[in-house]
Amino acid sequence: MTGDRARREAGNGSSGGTPSELAPLEQEFDAGSLYALRSAVAAHAAAAGLPPAQVYDVVLAAHELAANAVRHGSGHGRLRLQAADGVLTCQVTDAGPATASGDEKPDARARPWSAEHGHGLWVIGQVASQFAVDYGPAGTTATAVFTFR
Amino acid sequence: MTAEASAQITELAVDDHACLTFGEEEELLDLTAAFVRDGLAAGLKVVWLSDAAPQLAAGELARRGVAVQSAMARGQMTAAGSEGRLLAGQAFRADAAVGWLTRQIALASEAGFAGLRVAVDMGWALRPVTGVEELPRFEEGIATVLGGGTASVLCQYDRGRFDPVTLASVAAFHTCSVAAATYYADAVLRICRQYAPAGIRIAGEIDYQAEEPLALALAEAVRLEGDVTFNMAGLAFADALCTAMIADAARTVSASRQVVLCCQSGVAAGFARLGVVGLPRVSLVTADDR
Repeated sequence: MTGDRARREAGNGSSGGTPSELAPLEQEFDAGSLYALRSAVAAHAAAAGLPPAQVYDVVLAAHELAANAVRHGSGHGRLRLQAADGVLTCQVTDAGPATASGDEKPDARARPWSAEHGHGLWVIGQVASQFAVDYGPAGTTATAVFTFR
Repeated sequence: MTAEASAQITELAVDDHACLTFGEEEELLDLTAAFVRDGLAAGLKVVWLSDAAPQLAAGELARRGVAVQSAMARGQMTAAGSEGRLLAGQAFRADAAVGWLTRQIALASEAGFAGLRVAVDMGWALRPVTGVEELPRFEEGIATVLGGGTASVLCQYDRGRFDPVTLASVAAFHTCSVAAATYYADAVLRICRQYAPAGIRIAGEIDYQAEEPLALALAEAVRLEGDVTFNMAGLAFADALCTAMIADAARTVSASRQVVLCCQSGVAAGFARLGVVGLPRVSLVTADDR
């Protein structure tokens, strides 16, 4: 299991204090550690000052991004969660293709909820302020941005 | 895959001396509500012995759709503690307890009821009660009292608090064992049948890794007769796939019957996104507001 190891970076040198100065959360994950990942994301989002309903949205988006990497990508990946200046950014990277075919760039907001594979991405498009997927030769990086309510 | 249980709570008949083992309060109350509901519907006198019963009965059973207040008002149901019935001054004697049960059977008959159903929460045996070693003899005595074709007894044991030796020693005296049919259970997630009101209960956190047991539970829920409740009050997280699966099941059922989705606000928002909330015959009850 790779996801049990969580590491908080030192950020810009400050520690503690206001939520905006919260150090980023970086955590690896695989299929066996999604529960632990959700737990860590919930704790970090709450500590950043998001209201409970938005904490749930962040957890949902983080889970869907991670599950996508597990099910349709390399089987494991890395999540980074950072809050700064009233914005929380959730970024998931994995070394594999983001879709089953590996060559189709999904349009999250255009996919109907009944499309099973795209459903998770559709939900992220619903709950996040911004959502983008970047495909490169080294893998996929998906980023969901949440503006503090 | 369902749990090993020799009988469903809804299948119990007269002369049954059933052993219910439960793992959590919600399971005990659900199964007790079904036992009471079916007894009242059959015109039987129903007695629930539990040290918490008088306070819990009305609220908890009524919340599960059992008309317990009116049944108590007309004398068809009694909810009482064990003291003065199974116990006398915190002392237990098997012969006296069997005698109490025998009298209840006679009283129910004299009152014109078709029979008697007794549910006994055995939690009293976990307290410092003298004579508790006579518990197996009490269970054996119940078996001898039944057989007249009018009464049944449901003994309720908390499997997390009673030791395995005690559970094994009393098991042989029962005609069958009862537990909630369970589709999946681990430290994070539990999916099981709910009996009162009928449906399924999902607690913990659920994601795509539980797709198979969830599909089985939903398929069985859809096949149940009457209205269906998806009790997710204890569900803290549901991913997109599982939310969509439950929403699809609700759509299927609601073509002909009422569907109640009981869940926390975060999970409820998922159903709202899928357009389930506005469907006719679908009620969304937010558990936070109960």
